Amino acid sequence: MIQVLPHSTLLRYVYNELPADERREVEEALVHDPELAATCADLLLAQRTLNGIRREPRPETSEAILRYSRTFMAGA
Amino acid sequence: MNTMQPSDSALISLYLAGQESAFALLLERHRSRVFTTILLIVRDEDVAEDLLQDTFIKAIHTLKGGRYSEENKFGSWICRIAHNLAIDAFRRGKRAPHQSLSDNAPLTNKLTVLEESADDAMAREETYARLRELIQELPAAQKEVLLMRHYGDMSFQEIADATGVSINTALGRMRYALINLRKKMAAAPQLYDTSITPFDVAPLCVQRIAS
Repeated sequence: MIQVLPHSTLLRYVYNELPADERREVEEALVHDPELAATCADLLLAQRTLNGIRREPRPETSEAILRYSRTFMAGA
Repeated sequence: MNTMQPSDSALISLYLAGQESAFALLLERHRSRVFTTILLIVRDEDVAEDLLQDTFIKAIHTLKGGRYSEENKFGSWICRIAHNLAIDAFRRGKRAPHQSLSDNAPLTNKLTVLEESADDAMAREETYARLRELIQELPAAQKEVLLMRHYGDMSFQEIADATGVSINTALGRMRYALINLRKKMAAAPQLYDTSITPFDVAPLCVQRIAS
């Protein structure tokens, strides 16, 4: 099958931004179009790799924020 | 996201009703995304820690001051604050460069890695550090969209609104950001997550469809 889905649609699918009916269309196309499925897999791979570089702040930073929140009085 | 977890909106309501533990959950849920967004812009760990505090302090003021109006969009709202603060700090830093900007070593010392050997963890830290460098090499507009979407929890429409472009332009920038990163990563294939191979197409599709 010729890949007819716009790349932008696939991108929105990978990032879970499509409405349900369009999502089903993409999933149907993925089943029948190996080239599209490979492109989708590439995007998912990039997405997962980018998720891997996510970082955590130091615990002291979180504790300082929570301490500020506990002591902050609105309107004071 | 686990549907059994309280929503951000529910946590905000509890927080405003006086339950500080609800805010702790909000912080725990969003701090990693926010911190990564900041860190990838300012490229300095100490500055990023400070800006993370500034970001959440702004949020505390807005929430407790009764000015919060972003229903169901806390994640993208807090990341917009962080993004703006980080851009301001980065511009200030460009005028007076921070001493540690060129030192990437501290960036590799605290990655979250699941059950790996020390060698695997070290190799992964090196590749992730390299990936962060590759992101820095992207054109500014592409990098901006990638950070906002990937770590800022903003939809493409929200990014388009925030940056004053059409959604198609935002999508196009994201597309080229991924293409450029892919090219750079292909030149250093170890940057790919080795738990998945590019040839493992079917399981990936099933995984996405089922999520």
